[in-house]
Amino acid sequence: MNNELIIECKGVSKSFRHAVYPSKLLQDHLLSRKRHRRHQTIQALQDVTLHVERGEWVGIAGPNGSGKTTLLQIIAGLLPTDTGTVIQRGPMACFFGLGLGFHPERNAVENIYHHGLLHGMTPEEIKKRTKRIIDFAELWSHVDLPVKCYSTGMHMRLAFAAAVQVPAQLYLFDEVLAVGDVSFQVKCRAHFKGLRYHKKTVVMVGHSLSELRHWCDRIYHMENGSIVDIEQCTPAIPRNGKSVPSQHASHHVSPQSFEGAQRSSEQPALRA
Amino acid sequence: MLRIVWAVGWADFVLKYRGSFFGYLWSLALPAMKFLVIFHVFRSFVGGEIENYPLYLMLGLIVWEYFARVTHGCIAMLRHKEGVIQKVPFPRLILIFAVGWTDTIVFFTHCLIFLVLAWMMHVSPALLSFYTPLLLLQMLLLFLGTGMLLSAYSLRFRDIEHIWSMVLQVLFWLTPIMYLYTLHSPLSRQAKDMAAGNLPSTAWGLLDTFITFQPLSILIHDTRRVVLYSQTAGVPSAVHAAIFTAFCFLVFAAGTALFRYRSTYFLQEY
Repeated sequence: MNNELIIECKGVSKSFRHAVYPSKLLQDHLLSRKRHRRHQTIQALQDVTLHVERGEWVGIAGPNGSGKTTLLQIIAGLLPTDTGTVIQRGPMACFFGLGLGFHPERNAVENIYHHGLLHGMTPEEIKKRTKRIIDFAELWSHVDLPVKCYSTGMHMRLAFAAAVQVPAQLYLFDEVLAVGDVSFQVKCRAHFKGLRYHKKTVVMVGHSLSELRHWCDRIYHMENGSIVDIEQCTPAIPRNGKSVPSQHASHHVSPQSFEGAQRSSEQPALRA
Repeated sequence: MLRIVWAVGWADFVLKYRGSFFGYLWSLALPAMKFLVIFHVFRSFVGGEIENYPLYLMLGLIVWEYFARVTHGCIAMLRHKEGVIQKVPFPRLILIFAVGWTDTIVFFTHCLIFLVLAWMMHVSPALLSFYTPLLLLQMLLLFLGTGMLLSAYSLRFRDIEHIWSMVLQVLFWLTPIMYLYTLHSPLSRQAKDMAAGNLPSTAWGLLDTFITFQPLSILIHDTRRVVLYSQTAGVPSAVHAAIFTAFCFLVFAAGTALFRYRSTYFLQEY
């Protein structure tokens, strides 16, 4: 493994300031300022330092409210930090919970197209990958329908397929294995093997320690917004690029299906 | 980035009218109806004083509609695109520019109604003047800049959208869309007489100054001078054009800077 750092977080802190009497109206803030002056600050992250090298798989574990998703959102550039620095190198794709913000009135192909555009892909590239995404999501029967007509499972499959088809070096997954049915999870695992095979860098947040130990080289344990422990693991899936286990034969992912990832360093994704 | 703005804006335009029986024709209905109502009411007051009044009114209306659509679109955009803003990291300015592009498509098609009206009145508007692209640039910079300034705080203060609707109602009457660009027209004299005793003369002076110098009045007046009255009134001077373009650019730069700064907080303001 080379030592190129893909993510560097140094002393990251993040707090959220909530009003005791919340109001989102300008008139309230102008007319009853005293009432809306009372705030409570929640410290979501406290002096978090984390490094991820190229090709590493890092897990973030912890109870609810420990700051896992906030940390992932900061790494993704979706949230600003209060203090500390975050440096993220190379193109990135992320999958947060359910879906990728698909427009409910658009069909699968249109949503894939928009998602690809926002990740800096060319229309030709998107068109090439669209069939692969629909294949993975098994959505040919619903391909012409708006995504609001899809079941939750279909929606998730489509979102996950679109996320992993983005040519990136770094993938961020938030609780991806906690949602969806068994068949969805089997598909996710099959894709994870492909990502490992191609030495992609992954940061995944999860509650299942056994699952994280299965995939990750290192796990950061978080509590109350701080990293309390760093666990080195020996993942079950090798990263040697030679043997992709095939116990999920029905969802075997060929290395060719990740061909786009090879050009990841050439085309940077748009950053917020 | 331009490619993305083009594609997203165009797709939003198509999506907006998809499935509707009248489709895109709905967007033509609003300015057309406004035109008919205002023309019917105001032609007796100012129709005789203004040359080619129907075209004067229609041009004012479509520029106003463009302004109202872009600013409203920028404010509502953060609500409509909530899903993608919460899940995908990308420059949020893309969505603002896409709103601008979608409404520019609508504006161009509104211009077609204007051309049909001009053809019916046997008038040849100077749409291909060298000044026209500059006017378009000024409109885009001013409208998007205003839209971004409003949009930057539209999540923190959700009533900005309603407040802006009310402001637009007032601004509509304080913009010389249906009356002449000067307070010495019969309409304003009549209004002044009606309000005599109720408003002090200083208030009228302030109102007069506001209507004369507010940017939308200047922009609409310049557009009419270029498109309709270039032969009689002459196009705006180079100095005027340069100063007004610089002002529009300043509004755009301020809007962009504020929107970019505030965009990092959008996720926690939903």
